[in-house]
Amino acid sequence: MPRIIVVTSGKGGVGKTTSTANLGMALAKRGRNVAVIDADFGLRNLDLLLGLENRIVYTALEVLAGECRLEQALVKDKRQPRLVLLPAAQTRMKDAISAQQMKQLVEMLGNKYDYILIDSPAGIEQGFQNAIAPAQEGIIVTTPEIAAVRDADRVIGLLEANNVKKINLIVNRIRPAMVLANDMMSVQDVREILAIPLLGVVPDDERVIVSTNRGEPLVLSETASLAGTAFDNIARRLEGEKVEFLDLNPRPETFFSRLRKFFNKKIL
Amino acid sequence: MTPNASPGATSAPDSQATPEVSLDMQVRLKTEDGQLLLLLPSETNTSEAPTAAASTWTELWQQLKVRLNAGERFWQANAEVQLMASDRLLDIRQLQEIAEALLEVELQLKRVHTNRRQTAVAAATAGYCVEQQPPVSSLSKAPTEKPQSLAEPLYLQMTVRSGVEIRHPGTVVLLGDVNPGGSVIAGGDILVWGRLRGVVHAGAGGNTKSVIMTLQMEPMVIRIAKYVARGPETSPAQFFPEVAYVTPQGIRIGRASDFDKSMLIG
Repeated sequence: MPRIIVVTSGKGGVGKTTSTANLGMALAKRGRNVAVIDADFGLRNLDLLLGLENRIVYTALEVLAGECRLEQALVKDKRQPRLVLLPAAQTRMKDAISAQQMKQLVEMLGNKYDYILIDSPAGIEQGFQNAIAPAQEGIIVTTPEIAAVRDADRVIGLLEANNVKKINLIVNRIRPAMVLANDMMSVQDVREILAIPLLGVVPDDERVIVSTNRGEPLVLSETASLAGTAFDNIARRLEGEKVEFLDLNPRPETFFSRLRKFFNKKIL
Repeated sequence: MTPNASPGATSAPDSQATPEVSLDMQVRLKTEDGQLLLLLPSETNTSEAPTAAASTWTELWQQLKVRLNAGERFWQANAEVQLMASDRLLDIRQLQEIAEALLEVELQLKRVHTNRRQTAVAAATAGYCVEQQPPVSSLSKAPTEKPQSLAEPLYLQMTVRSGVEIRHPGTVVLLGDVNPGGSVIAGGDILVWGRLRGVVHAGAGGNTKSVIMTLQMEPMVIRIAKYVARGPETSPAQFFPEVAYVTPQGIRIGRASDFDKSMLIG
């Protein structure tokens, strides 16, 4: 039986799609069969982040209408054949499909996959309701801002009401230096309000923007990055492994660390 | 100064209840004569304007789920539930959803009380015992409940998250936090065994003797009867159980331990 997990946040722009793409890729890299479903009808982005935009022929809508088989709509990833994407329709709105149809799509995917990740749209309206309908578990993505945390809190309540009881938290885009200077909410502050288990903390990283624009999830990158490692760790924790949280605190600059930085720059 | 001295400006709590706060507009579960009753808010109450209370089916259903999740251990497994639908219109699908939600916490829907013919028909079709009261009773505004002083306390074990609103005509005891954006409105006292960071309104029916107690007082807004107070701008460095009560000068907050003593002496 696949684990059906919805990735959601309430507020937009906190990194739902980025997290879905990286998590899906990280799980596939670990040898799991993963299907990612874009539930953001009308504003689909997951295909861009995975770099699969130009390979979409059919979307979930055509599958539901019976115009194509499910296998025809599924886009296999070129780098990780274990990952498939079920794209949303870009030309339609959120009410193009119903919660019932979303469940139907997930059922059609059947038992071939170990994980089914659903990328939810922002908001708590129909699109969100569709995305959470088939889910058994939830991953809440939030950034350390009061607006994002407030919305996340609301969404957790809605998930609980919809019988999604296993809910984990990803705190995205944390800036350790700002937290130290007391200019940003800490992970502890966020957890105190949301009171759900923490799956991982992803630091703010410019390379996420670069990878997003290139359509290459960070976890695939050859050179290790903190954010990429964080997503890898999240995937491992999702599988039940115990992984230490990354130490994100900036080290005080010593002579050696500056020297190392200098050399690293020259080499790369 | 005794905190429970009646304030000069306000007359005794028997004066008219504040009209904007209606406490009977939420899904409620209560035990009466050993029977577990599920009361749905009436549709006519909400007819004036779309209020914060349950108006649509989705909201009603979410309220039901919240209540059921928050009190799972207070009833025995497989207890039978009587649905008091009053004048709410329910179709078969909605009745089934209620029954499913109850079943998830091992409760069984048995009997449906309604004064709408369509609801009665739907319930009978779905296979429940039906009791249809004449709709006249709802017009006289005296449904099963007597105008008693206060309803029994509501005991909840949950986090009141942003967007959740708990309304109860009696005292509310909450095992958990009230998060920013969440609210609790009670006819009696409010006791929060956790952090209070949302909006609370005690004595919403006009009782100025109501108090708000919590382990960690960081509210956005506190209201007791018709008094309003804002939470402090900066949260204190140290927390201890605190209590908010009404004095002639408005709402005051003090240590819960001290308050207990003054209540006993005064």
